[in-house]
Amino acid sequence: MPLPEGLVAFVRSDCPTCVLVAPVLRELAGGDVPLTVFSQDDAGFPEGMEVLDDGDLRQSWENTIEIVPTLFRVERGRVVEVLQGWRRPDWERLSGVTGLGPGLPEFRPGCGSRTLDPGFPERLATLYGGERLASRRVRLGESEDPFEAMAGRGWTDGLPVVPPTPERVLRMLEGTPRDPAEEVAVVPPDLVPATVEKVAVNAVLAGCRPEYLPVVLAAVEAACTDAFNMHGLLATTWHSGPVVVVNGPVAARIGMNWGGNALGQGNRPNSTIGRALQLVVRNVGGGRPGGVDRATQGSPGKLGFCFAEDEPGSPWEPLAVERGVAPGRSAVTLFAGAGVQPVVDQLSRTPESLARTFAACLRTVAHPKQALVWDALLVVSPEHGRVFREAGWSKARLRQELDDLLRLAGSEMVRGAAGIAEGMPLEMAEAEIPKFRPGGLLIVHAGGTAGLFSTIICGWVSGAMGSEPVTREMN
Amino acid sequence: MTELEAGGTPGVYIASSEFAEAARAQGQALGFHPASVFVAHPIQDRTDQEVRALAEAAFAEVVQALAG
Amino acid sequence: MTIELIDPTSERVPAGRSVAPRLAGLRGRRIALLDISKPRGDVFLDRIAELLQADGAAVLRFRKPTFAKPAPSDLRHEIAVKCEGVIEALAD
Repeated sequence: MPLPEGLVAFVRSDCPTCVLVAPVLRELAGGDVPLTVFSQDDAGFPEGMEVLDDGDLRQSWENTIEIVPTLFRVERGRVVEVLQGWRRPDWERLSGVTGLGPGLPEFRPGCGSRTLDPGFPERLATLYGGERLASRRVRLGESEDPFEAMAGRGWTDGLPVVPPTPERVLRMLEGTPRDPAEEVAVVPPDLVPATVEKVAVNAVLAGCRPEYLPVVLAAVEAACTDAFNMHGLLATTWHSGPVVVVNGPVAARIGMNWGGNALGQGNRPNSTIGRALQLVVRNVGGGRPGGVDRATQGSPGKLGFCFAEDEPGSPWEPLAVERGVAPGRSAVTLFAGAGVQPVVDQLSRTPESLARTFAACLRTVAHPKQALVWDALLVVSPEHGRVFREAGWSKARLRQELDDLLRLAGSEMVRGAAGIAEGMPLEMAEAEIPKFRPGGLLIVHAGGTAGLFSTIICGWVSGAMGSEPVTREMN
Repeated sequence: MTELEAGGTPGVYIASSEFAEAARAQGQALGFHPASVFVAHPIQDRTDQEVRALAEAAFAEVVQALAG
Repeated sequence: MTIELIDPTSERVPAGRSVAPRLAGLRGRRIALLDISKPRGDVFLDRIAELLQADGAAVLRFRKPTFAKPAPSDLRHEIAVKCEGVIEALAD
């Protein structure tokens, strides 16, 4: 219900300031501008005037009353000014009446609204907020174990999921200012529009906290772009799934891991954000193994694969900045990745030698005799990063070196060479073939500070039938 | 029966009519209603011939519940 | 107290747990008869078995060790592997 025209006040009888201003309200009630008073606890307070009973706190909740007394001025259905507590000059200006409350002090702060009393926020959110959720409700049987019930309905990725009660979904939605009804993306393969609410439900399933929701939303948006081609990625027989790399202040704010075991388990946002994306694809988009997902072998990362880049320790600019996002902004980059190819190099002291290690290992991405087809994401650890920092090599310098080293002799690459039937078409026997297409090799910095190891994450194919990495800035 | 159904094996459950209400309630409680056929109570003190007759009387319904 | 959950799916299919698809006819099918060990159940199932066989189905007989508890998992597994449908009888 919208607020009535004129002056609108919210009070509670056990608030001394409300008691203090009761005569002011009585005076305003008799004035030219209509006054409506909502009482949060006692419809007989203030005495001597007409008061509306907001004992069920519905009006207070819908108008987000935090302090009493609150005084609104409403003109043509819109709130034009709001005051909290008592301050004579403000109340006189808002009401247009001078000489208010002659015996009263100039100013008195208000008290907490009853909607914020212990236990009330949760109760009211469930009572009134639940009505805002548009999704279908599923009522479980009395004897149904909720975890078995969700598994039985196919809502899980094989691991248990968190039951999405209305309370949990409402709490999750507090993680974003966006309207729950807002459409986020059209999710393949069934091409179903996903609202902020639907993404939030799956974020609850995944075990996310509300503050992770904006990252999940950005990941869903990025994944469902034509360029990323989530549909193709889902349907391919290749191992890849979406990998989410997080840049910017959001990573620290939500407690992500970019250090030791950054690609592994144990950190809640790392483990749940990628999972939430995959659950959206499964539950909203309808994409699942045995159905559209035809991966021959798949990979453990398809449960979820998300990590943050180590920006403070990096010798280079963040991935997102390299890809056009302004420094200091948060962003996600989606990459169609499969698994982890470990790289050891404990002896290279020079950047040239370490770059050769990387090149030798990058050459084998997907197949040593295939080039231009597959993308890759190189995760350089701090100890390896230090070699480049101490030599003064920018990321561009490293990239140039890798490009030079990865120009491969066609004679070695063609089908039949080295007794291997697989390889490049015979016409390319005389050519020099770059292992990666332009833009096909991404480089990030992450990992613990001890360990002369890095990682190559093999990508998928690019081009019309494949996937392009997509970076999406978060608002 | 629930696990077999979940695994893709269709089933039908035959019980005496005394069970009908309990079966319905359990279905509600579990959120799952397996196919069922009810035969006239009582069962235990009937002769073999009478029990066979119950089976014959229920057979068409059993086939319908199992094989559509 | 029943729990209400918010549906995470596209809502394009009904929300309930559904039963397995029915068989398309009996001829040539292997049907499990699961005796839940109540009295007279065996006589009842003997007749059902005859009728099924007359309709061209193959019948395998199984017995729950005790009426009181659900069928043990290895029994369920055996039924699932060896048969395409199951008739469970006779509760009274």
